[in-house]
Amino acid sequence: MEKTKKSTKRLATAKELTRVVSEFYLECHQAKAEGKPVGWMPPMNGAIELFYAMDLQPVFPENWSPVCAAFGLTPANFEVAEGMGYSQDLCGYLRNIVGFVHGMMGGDHVPLGGLPEPDLLVSASGGCIPAMKIFQIMEHRFPDAHVFRGDLPQVALEHIQPHHVEYAVHQMKQLIEFLTEATGRKLDYDRLAEVVRLSDESCALWDEICSYRRHVPTPISAAEIGIMFVLVTRQGTQIAVDFLTKVRDELKERAENKIGIIEDEKLRLFWDNIPLWYNMGLFNYFEKMGAVVVAETYSAAWSIRMDTSDPLKALAIKTLKSYPLVSCLSVETRKEMVLKACREYKIDGALLHSNKSCVPITLGQADIKRALEEELDIPSVVIDADHMDERNFSPAQFQTRVDAFMEMLLEKKGLL
Amino acid sequence: MSSLSDYVSEFTRALENPKELIDDISRSGKKVVGYFCTYTPVELIHAAGAVPVRISGGPMRIDRADRLAPSFLCPYMRTALERALAGDFENLFGLIQGYTCDVACGMFNVWKGNIPLSFYHILSLPYGESPEAKLFFEKELVNLADRLSDHDMEVSDAALEQSLDIYGEIRRIMQWLYEKRYDGELPLSAREFYTVIRGIQVLPPERTEELLAGMVSSLESNAGGDARNPGGTPILLSGSLVEDMDIFDLIERSGGRIAADDLCTGFRHFDPPAGDGRQPIYRLIERYVAHFPCPSRQRARHRAPLLIDLAHRSGARGVVFLIQKFCTPHLTDIPILGRELKEAGLPSLVIEMEETGVMEGQTATRLQGFFEMMGD
Repeated sequence: MEKTKKSTKRLATAKELTRVVSEFYLECHQAKAEGKPVGWMPPMNGAIELFYAMDLQPVFPENWSPVCAAFGLTPANFEVAEGMGYSQDLCGYLRNIVGFVHGMMGGDHVPLGGLPEPDLLVSASGGCIPAMKIFQIMEHRFPDAHVFRGDLPQVALEHIQPHHVEYAVHQMKQLIEFLTEATGRKLDYDRLAEVVRLSDESCALWDEICSYRRHVPTPISAAEIGIMFVLVTRQGTQIAVDFLTKVRDELKERAENKIGIIEDEKLRLFWDNIPLWYNMGLFNYFEKMGAVVVAETYSAAWSIRMDTSDPLKALAIKTLKSYPLVSCLSVETRKEMVLKACREYKIDGALLHSNKSCVPITLGQADIKRALEEELDIPSVVIDADHMDERNFSPAQFQTRVDAFMEMLLEKKGLL
Repeated sequence: MSSLSDYVSEFTRALENPKELIDDISRSGKKVVGYFCTYTPVELIHAAGAVPVRISGGPMRIDRADRLAPSFLCPYMRTALERALAGDFENLFGLIQGYTCDVACGMFNVWKGNIPLSFYHILSLPYGESPEAKLFFEKELVNLADRLSDHDMEVSDAALEQSLDIYGEIRRIMQWLYEKRYDGELPLSAREFYTVIRGIQVLPPERTEELLAGMVSSLESNAGGDARNPGGTPILLSGSLVEDMDIFDLIERSGGRIAADDLCTGFRHFDPPAGDGRQPIYRLIERYVAHFPCPSRQRARHRAPLLIDLAHRSGARGVVFLIQKFCTPHLTDIPILGRELKEAGLPSLVIEMEETGVMEGQTATRLQGFFEMMGD
């Protein structure tokens, strides 16, 4: 088994991903060349919709990290960051982007042309510490960029109250003011309403896409999860809606014709935490024993339905909810979400990725593991790895653990 | 009159056995509320009639906590959980935490799911200082006060005023002692001095105030003995919590003198002592908004001039970063901070602490080399 491997995709739409990703990054470079302001921002916040509504170009350094992992650029980026003094114990997203902007960025042979330099740096806060720290380092690296430092409340989903929403709305207004001043572009509220409507439509489509995971055999697996790229980078655009519509239609057809991801589906698995971006082929590994990873937690943070009648408030609420949905900020809610998914998707076993690069998602997994066993009689196995740094992934240990786990699951189901 | 070391002994005893301390306070009829981080508004907890006690971890081997938390978390959070699972905090009434870092917040939730206490509450803290940020903070504080009152812990303005006064006075005395340390006029070793600071985080403030007042009298009458200038290369010690008190001896034995610090078991705990405002809640808000910033709350470039200022005021000639292993906020800032300190003529050294402490021989060698490099 290799340390790094690409996934084998079965959906025709998932196979289009290379094109979809390339087009996005091409658009980012074109925007820069045409003088359209380019802003870097963390994922999972309402700034993306504001950017599209104001015809500004958003770029997501955090999303660039999986792209680097897919192209095998991370070891070189880590070397640069670690050479600067960034500890190997820090989040891989942080080390990768720091290494990239201080190393190969701007070089001749960077895949997809790399990232265009930011005119704006928008740090929303309210997420994890590494996400916030990335932007503090970017401020240092790009001193000419206009900087917005947001102040979003960090609050568990189940504890969000009106004053949290009020403060988040205030932050959105501050951001609009900043963008107007920095770029000279005014926000057209009708346009914003349209963008928010499109964003919500994407989320509705995503929910519908996820609902096909209920089918046996499943017409979608975690190996196709790259399709969420449009949810991360193109929220609020017709492009996202069109692409997700195509995905939905393909899944509908496969479900109606009972075409599964694998031919003889015996085990249905659940993945908790971020995938191993350098080894998406891992999701195909289980297939040798008739197992398929039906669902995962990570995509939930990008699909939050909105009340489109009040766009600004809707974006503020969405921003407040995104990070807690997948982090230790709301262990209780996350646990309920995992249990619900495992029930609905008829899961036989869960793979809990103990991710050295992401403490917020890893913390609380022990409680989730216990709840799965006690409430649903679903066994789980812990996989020690890292979503970015392949040095923290041992294929041999993975194989030993996972093979034994799948054998146990097959025996439990009377299939061995 | 007691000697300075008698006072220090009481702080030492309070730290040696966190369980006994909490059990004793509980037996006296007071509720004990734990907290992890110095951004937790202890004045409000005290005004509600409870005794805020900072949760202790301390060097130890991990056994039970491994079942609930991964190994790549800071030793403080893991050892604190180990204690909790061993029953050390069974008489704690509740746990209150201000959201600072991801690990403290996540561990708060792990505790909530596994350590049965009557009260759990986490606050969202604003990063900004604008009027809207302060208004938001006010609502978070009022929300906490409401939740406390649901548990028969009413917070009145008068009680809050009193609590602000007592904590303000404690912090002012600590600052005075700290200044004396700058000037080499405090006859306490680093271990003794930082024992006092950690002690004031766990003892009831009324008792702390008495002890500190005693220390001041003792110093003023010279009953504490002559201030001894311990010599050594003056340094600024930067990090978060230091619970392994042996490290202080190690620094001094290796030829260093801690002239100033940037620790949350140090200067960050009592700077600023208090905030101004017409109403007690505003005094509270102003104090926490002006809190000497932890790297989880501020950028390295904002903190760099503050550290440089601390070093210059205290005469520190270099900085030792004493970091809890895996501490993302501190570790992330080190490259930028280190560079800015260097430009200001302050060399730095990074030492990481693990659950069982530091590797003594190796750390001593590194410290000696660092102090020698700085020269006398």
